[in-house]
Amino acid sequence: MNQSSSDTLKGARPSLRSSKDRFIPKRTVFVGMSGGVDSSVSALLLKEQGYNVIGVYMKNWSKDLPGMKCPWAEDLADAKRVAVKLGIPFEVWDFEEAYREKVVEYMLSEFRKGNTPNPDVMCNQEIKFKLFYEKAMAAGADFIATGHYARVLPAGPSLMRAVDENKDQTYFLYRISDEALAHTIFPIGDMMKPDVKKLAEENGLHNAYKKESMGVCFVGEVGMKDFLKEYIDIKPGEIREIESEKVLGYHEGAVFYTIGQRHGLYLNGVAGEINDGLPYYVVKKDIEKNIVYVSKNLNDENIWADELHLKDVALRSDDNHEVLVRLRHRAPLIPAIFDGNTLKFEQKIKRPASGQSAVLYNDEICIGGGIIA
Amino acid sequence: MIYLDHAAATPVSEKVLKAMEPYFTVDFFNPSAAYLPAKKVAANYETAKGVIAHAIGAKSSDLVITAGATEANNLAFSCLGQGKVLYLITEHASVRAVAEKYGGEAVKVLPSGVIDLADLKGKLNDDVQLISVALANNELGTIQPLAEISALIREVKIDRLKRGVKMPLYLHSDASQAINLLDINVARLGVDLLTINAAKVYGPKGVGALYVSHDVRLSPISVGGGQENGLRSGTENVPGVIGFAEAISRAKDHINGNRKKYASWRKMLLQELQGYELINKKHTLDNFVVLCYNGIDAERLIFLLEDQGIYVATGAACAASKGVRSHVLKAIGLSDEQIAGSLRITFGETNTEEQIHEAARIINDAVAKEYRRIMG
Repeated sequence: MNQSSSDTLKGARPSLRSSKDRFIPKRTVFVGMSGGVDSSVSALLLKEQGYNVIGVYMKNWSKDLPGMKCPWAEDLADAKRVAVKLGIPFEVWDFEEAYREKVVEYMLSEFRKGNTPNPDVMCNQEIKFKLFYEKAMAAGADFIATGHYARVLPAGPSLMRAVDENKDQTYFLYRISDEALAHTIFPIGDMMKPDVKKLAEENGLHNAYKKESMGVCFVGEVGMKDFLKEYIDIKPGEIREIESEKVLGYHEGAVFYTIGQRHGLYLNGVAGEINDGLPYYVVKKDIEKNIVYVSKNLNDENIWADELHLKDVALRSDDNHEVLVRLRHRAPLIPAIFDGNTLKFEQKIKRPASGQSAVLYNDEICIGGGIIA
Repeated sequence: MIYLDHAAATPVSEKVLKAMEPYFTVDFFNPSAAYLPAKKVAANYETAKGVIAHAIGAKSSDLVITAGATEANNLAFSCLGQGKVLYLITEHASVRAVAEKYGGEAVKVLPSGVIDLADLKGKLNDDVQLISVALANNELGTIQPLAEISALIREVKIDRLKRGVKMPLYLHSDASQAINLLDINVARLGVDLLTINAAKVYGPKGVGALYVSHDVRLSPISVGGGQENGLRSGTENVPGVIGFAEAISRAKDHINGNRKKYASWRKMLLQELQGYELINKKHTLDNFVVLCYNGIDAERLIFLLEDQGIYVATGAACAASKGVRSHVLKAIGLSDEQIAGSLRITFGETNTEEQIHEAARIINDAVAKEYRRIMG
């Protein structure tokens, strides 16, 4: 028979915010629970540290599109199951309308312009660390918490890279407000992922080894292109080789393609390659004329850049001239010089798609970032 | 494990599994093939179909084998021509969804869950061609007075003929939930169409049948090789039908014993549980106990019980069913709070008397634990 989870917590780690709280009234944390192991263990740790913990499932998207099953109902059940196991209250907060407006609409409008936006960045900025934060504070929270791999330094406040460098999620968090950050706890930010799983298993959490969700929840496993096709009409156009202007094939709409993409190109009936077997890459999109340009030349000037212009820059430090830059989640940090708008790199970098984020760091501190123009 | 959700699924019994086995490996032939071993399989399939038909007082030729009850319900509704359909508001989704597709109108139930016959009469105008009423409800166990409904229909039919109204009128019943514990006879019930399902009688999942009386014309659910009188093409599910036959005849043999046993367990459980409100008070299958605990989130209970190896169901806005509250509990007039605190316990052949005692104790503990948590 299972023992009540509140009795013992095996393998619990000491935490910065725990010991001194013993003799003062319990402080209240609303923890966003997604049903995954990271947020489940976050709730577990907070409970053990003596907080008054309330689990919340944020319902952001529940629409099943043909052939795409958004697993929200199962995720919600998983989150609730863990909350029951921990003996904490559990609520479902419906942000579906706001999510549609702030995240999905933003995403679609950016795609229509030919950009490749990052909905997770927007979701954190607009939903998790804004609406969820505000609603939790109004409901009496002292803090909110999520299962992100990141750390908060109270001074500043500062957003700090996670101990598990491989899982660090500050790339998605750089735009959240100082106010929210100052009231945020990332309970697993100083843990390694395998230890998180182990702790979940030792405490009988059923989702310890649940398959991790990748990318944007509601797009699921089918992929962005199929999702976009539900909202953006197919508009056939030409695929041209950039060097020769020769028409190599046809596409379903330039907005569905991303610079650097090599899959899903149908060129004269051969997927992604012609004759010599070398793959073609998307190197340029002309949204107005609806033309996708491809090349086999890995040195094509369109793919490479030694500087990037940023828009919608959000910074939380003045010390931002010599920086480290991350251009993709989990990508290596590259040194660069930043002048407030433009990033200059010593060596050429592979140009990320416009609409993606460039996130800036001073050593371990994430100091902000911007959207690649 | 104490499994108390036999209305959702039943395990395939040992005997059924054994009967099916040779048809996967040795007697695997396509019944349509010309050689003798295949003809033998075809003959055994027909015999099995006859056994299933016999269990509901019908003939083999009256049955269309389907891939489960949902498909049978869909097929039943293909009898509709220009006519309208009336369906009981508490019907299973596989009837409700099809009825809605055909623009059907819902008939109310009384707070007991039993059909409101006055409402049915009021809605039964000359446009109505089909009435669909489940023999026993899958959430409450409520048994509907089908014989009374068919008597009413007979009167209406006679009256229509007198007045020269040509619209035919059929009665369909989904008896999936009922076949386990009720002795079904299509003639006695007066139905024109009847759905049954192997998965609820300790047979395999994905096998069902639709009984079709002689004067009902249906449209094929799939076309192809013309199997099942041309109404459902596709190579016959021989092992499934063999298993269904074995399962339904077994169930038939045990109806009286099981009813007695479940009725006594029901009484016992209701004595031992504490602090509940009983929902399915009467006109119910003996193995159904539907309760509610006011102020309790039954889904939390389900997870607490699951942790102790007890499996039950709820009509609450269950996350696993996409947050949709039970339309059945709503239809009998329960409040949102009552629905949120509702539990459905259904006994079956996996249970013992000791298990029911044990379950009562554990459910009481879980409920007490939740009340303590809420009170702080």
